[in-house]
Amino acid sequence: MNTPRLSHSAALILKALSLGYCFGLDVMEVTGLPSGTVYPALRRLERDELVESKWEPEEEATAKHRPARRYYEVTREGKTAALAATQRYPLLAHLVPEKRS
Amino acid sequence: MSHQPPAPLPLFDRNLLCIVERVVPFAEREEWSRAWRAELWHMHHRSRSHRIQTLSVITDLSIGLIWDALWLRTDSWRRTLSGTATLCLSSLLGLSLLSTLIALVITGGWHSLSPYLNDHFKRSLFAAPLVVFVAFATASRRHIEQSSTNNRLYWIKRQLFFAVKISQVLLLAFLLSADICQPIHTPLPNTADFLQVLCFVIFALVGLRWALRDQEQRCKQCVQLLATPMRVGRPSHNLLEWNGTKLNCKQGHGLLSVPEMETSWCQSSQWVDLKPSWEQAASV
Repeated sequence: MNTPRLSHSAALILKALSLGYCFGLDVMEVTGLPSGTVYPALRRLERDELVESKWEPEEEATAKHRPARRYYEVTREGKTAALAATQRYPLLAHLVPEKRS
Repeated sequence: MSHQPPAPLPLFDRNLLCIVERVVPFAEREEWSRAWRAELWHMHHRSRSHRIQTLSVITDLSIGLIWDALWLRTDSWRRTLSGTATLCLSSLLGLSLLSTLIALVITGGWHSLSPYLNDHFKRSLFAAPLVVFVAFATASRRHIEQSSTNNRLYWIKRQLFFAVKISQVLLLAFLLSADICQPIHTPLPNTADFLQVLCFVIFALVGLRWALRDQEQRCKQCVQLLATPMRVGRPSHNLLEWNGTKLNCKQGHGLLSVPEMETSWCQSSQWVDLKPSWEQAASV
C-alpha cells in the first residue's frame, strides 16, 4: 500500500496523536495549530483511515462529573504514515513532546 | 443514558451550537453536537483551572467549530455529487461563465464584447460540424450495449446528457479561443481571426475526445462515473486469457470490462448489467 503524502500540519497532528495526545483540544495545545486547522484535519485523517475515533465510556465520564469526549487513535496505516512523515519532516520529532502520563 | 454534560454551557456557546449545527448534514448532526458540547465543556473547565486566555481560546474554538461543520457539509456534497452528470455539466457551465467573465474584463464591457463574439461565433458555427464529424470518425468506439441498457428511458437519458455535454464543450472551446485571440485582434485582425478558428478546432477536438471517453466510462443507467478500476489478468497471457480493467457502478447497476488490447476474440468493452440485489449491496 502507498503511504499517503501528508501536509505539514496533518503530519504534525498525526505525530501528536501517535505520541498519546488523543483529544482535539490537547492536539491544539501541543501543536499550537488553530482549531480551524486541527478539527477538519482530524476528519480528513479519519476519512483516509489513518486515525479512528471512539467515544469514552459514558460511565467513566459520568463518574468524574464530566461529559464523555471523542478521542482519536492512530491506526496501523496511520503509524506507517506518521513514520514516513517523520522521515520527510525530520523536525517534526522535536516539535511535539512525548505526553507525560 | 444521558449524553448531556454535567454542567450547562454558557449561553453564547449554546446559541452558537444551535446555529452552526444547521450546517451539519442531518445524519451526523447529533454526534457532531455531542462531540462539540464535550469539547467546549472541557475547554471552559480547563481555562478555569489553568487560568489561560479564555476569550482567545473561545474565539479559536468557535472558528474550529464552524470549520468542522462546513467540512462535514462540503464532504457530504462531495460524496453526493462526485462523478454525477450534474457535477459534470455544472463544472462545464462554470468554466464557460468564467471564460465569458474573462472576455468581459479583456474587452472592457458587453458593448464591445458582443460584436466581437458575434463575428467569431459565425465562423466557429461553420467549423463545429466538421470538428464533431472528425472527432466521431476518429474516436475509438468499442462499446457493446446489452440487455437492460436497451431500455428506452436510459438510452434517452444518456443521449440527452451526451448532447448537452458536447454543446457545452463546443461553447467552452469557442469562448476560450475568443479569450486567447482577443488581445491581438486590434493590431492584427486577420491573424487573430485565423488563430481563433485554429484554437477553436484544437480545443473542440480535445474537448470532444474527452467527452467521448467520459461517456464510455459512465454507468449506462444512472450516468454516474464508474469507480474502483481493477486490473484483471496479465498482459503476458494476452493470447491465452482476457486481461484488462474492470470498472463498477457505485450504485451497483453494472460492470464495465475494458480489454487492454483489442483482440480478434475480444474487440469491445463489455457492459454487464448486475441484478437488482447488487444495488442493495452497493447502497449498504
